[in-house]
Amino acid sequence: MKKSKMQILKNGILNENPTFRLLLGMCPTLAVTTAAMNGLGMGLSTTVVLIGSNVVISALRKVIPDAIRIPAFIVIIASFVTIVQMILEAYVPSLYAALGMYIPLIVVNCIILGRAEAFAYTNTPGDSFFDGLGMGLGFTLALTLLASIREIIGAGTFFGISLFGSGYEPALLVIMPAGGFVVFGLLLGLINMLTNKYEAKAKAEGDKLAEEVK
Amino acid sequence: MADKEKNTIDWGYVFKVGLILFVITLICTLLLAITNSATAPIIAKQLEETSKQAQKEVLPEATDFKAMDTVDEIAQNVGESIIANIYVGTKNGETIGYAVETKPSGYGGEIDMLTGISTDGKITGVKILSQSETAGLGAKSTEPAFYEQYTGLDALKEVTVIKSGSVNGNQIMAITGATITSNAVTTGVNAAEKAVQYITTEGTQVMETTGATGSAQ
Amino acid sequence: MDENTRLIVSSSPHVRDTRTTSKIMLDVIIAMIPAAIVAICVFGIQALLVLIYCVASAVLTEYVIEKILKKPVTISDLSAVVTGMLLAFNLPYSAPWWMCVVGGVFAIGVVKQAFGGLGANFMNPALAARAFLLACWPTRMTGTAFIPDGITTATPLGIIKEGLDASMLPSMMDMFLGVNGVFGAIGEISALALLIGGIYLICRKVISWRIPVTYLATVFVLELCFGAGFSGALYQIFAGGLMLGAFFMATDYVSSPNTVLGQFIFAFGCGLITVIIRQFGGYPEGVSYSILLMNVAAPLIQRYTAPRVYGIQKQKKESEA
Repeated sequence: MKKSKMQILKNGILNENPTFRLLLGMCPTLAVTTAAMNGLGMGLSTTVVLIGSNVVISALRKVIPDAIRIPAFIVIIASFVTIVQMILEAYVPSLYAALGMYIPLIVVNCIILGRAEAFAYTNTPGDSFFDGLGMGLGFTLALTLLASIREIIGAGTFFGISLFGSGYEPALLVIMPAGGFVVFGLLLGLINMLTNKYEAKAKAEGDKLAEEVK
Repeated sequence: MADKEKNTIDWGYVFKVGLILFVITLICTLLLAITNSATAPIIAKQLEETSKQAQKEVLPEATDFKAMDTVDEIAQNVGESIIANIYVGTKNGETIGYAVETKPSGYGGEIDMLTGISTDGKITGVKILSQSETAGLGAKSTEPAFYEQYTGLDALKEVTVIKSGSVNGNQIMAITGATITSNAVTTGVNAAEKAVQYITTEGTQVMETTGATGSAQ
Repeated sequence: MDENTRLIVSSSPHVRDTRTTSKIMLDVIIAMIPAAIVAICVFGIQALLVLIYCVASAVLTEYVIEKILKKPVTISDLSAVVTGMLLAFNLPYSAPWWMCVVGGVFAIGVVKQAFGGLGANFMNPALAARAFLLACWPTRMTGTAFIPDGITTATPLGIIKEGLDASMLPSMMDMFLGVNGVFGAIGEISALALLIGGIYLICRKVISWRIPVTYLATVFVLELCFGAGFSGALYQIFAGGLMLGAFFMATDYVSSPNTVLGQFIFAFGCGLITVIIRQFGGYPEGVSYSILLMNVAAPLIQRYTAPRVYGIQKQKKESEA
């Protein structure tokens, strides 16, 4: 069934959110989300690469033979990442320094390779653009949310602005990798709980309607 | 039958596939080269700026800096492998001090730091360039409250670390709960002192250090 | 299907017992009273407050979570009270109220309830919360946090680790009784008080002698191997959280093996890691981490030490007739 462009976009942000549903790209997710700004920056950089690689791979999908599709994907993705890296280093050095070694790691971020294989290779460039945008936005939202929570609890700041004054003693573990796992796990549990409630309610209403129609 | 098929390679297919991959890679490389030539000069200039800014912070009186190319020889002669770079600071053509970049091992990895020492034997500043110490503990080494302790100390004597009481002489107070980081930074400063002493006395004197004190974090 | 509504059917023999969870927990609470009294004598009212805040936080967290998840409320089984008390025993007297609350929430909310409630915690909740608090607020959980205001000294293990003047160390009898300037976490002070509690628990058959005795013996012997001498090794037994850990924390039913051989291995592992951390590690005390690490290894130990099921022979190799 052909999905509309808006449906594809929504899919990436909600139903198949790469972080909270597909659980892809965990390494940068946990490593970079120590500050909201970093989460946002990484998310947007990944989105740019994702859109670029999705569109290009989709445009070339008839040309790239099946046997060498993986090397071809990697070359295209790596080129985009390197270009983004160079632009960041030249024009936004503070973000470049904050994201550090995780920028080159965008190349092996499973989201990008995963969408190239699962969507871009078998869909039109137009649709692939929206898939890339949706997935990228979903990733960015997830990262920014996680990073905000960790920054507020673990450093007492939000986007660098001190929230609680100097008397606040931040829970340092939350900023460390171990704390990242714990916060992420709890967040995932909460989202699942809310989603289940929402779906149960929707189903109950659907059943009620079906009953009334009978 | 199947074995025979396996042994015959369709060279036409291999060539075609290889050519496609080659073209894709060629186009990508071209795009990268274009981007690189546009951004590389900007990046290089930025690095130089940040470098110069850091050097000026640790040696405020100097106006120009020049890297020494005998740094490896000096490092070897004073027995400190953590010395990475030495910059000569000049003002109006006269050498007034040195900014020494050292890379001691901290708690979470290498600490990249710069120590400024004037020719009249005083530490003029310390700056942490990069570190991966624990947030809230060792990472506090980047706060002025810690690194400004070194400013004004005697560069001809070893700096030592104490954990309690009050500082006097060439001592600094360790960060609470981050002894290893505090010791590492002090080791870096002492190595810088050794280097500068070696240079200013043209190799006739090498300062003795016992190594920073303390153990557990 | 909800696990709690599945009926478990097994064949005879069946054993009946009048013991309930709350009765066992009550015994544990009684066993902790001597140590609690010592703590209040040494540290004053602040120690009592820490105890109150921790217990209140643990019980309230359990109540709230069970209400939200629409599960039956089990606070009357007193397990949350025990967790709260054990958490308090692991904290310094100077722990602020908010730290007690966060510790209680983490111990009950994350380590216990999030993994399935009573009987499902994979680590000792109180100890895991201590490790959590240590990582979050290190300066409030180490060094001078244990020492009352106005006194300049360190904990006995701290003095040993830093290589400070040995004349600062309390005497052996001071260490055993917990008097004359023995400082540490609230529940760690008096070896005698903990010993009394531990013996009570063993006599009441709440815990088995195997884990505490093996744990203490392992530490003693290993310290001898490291050249501590007889009195030095005995000093190590009384120092730090070892007595508390051996009797009250390592013996948690859920996070330790329940096979005989398994318990010996578990306790030996705890002792080994404790000594290694105390001797070579960066921390002066190694008990909490050693127990937590062995907790994680416990399921594996349990699996490999499971006794042979009656009536089943080990499979002979195919090559043999």
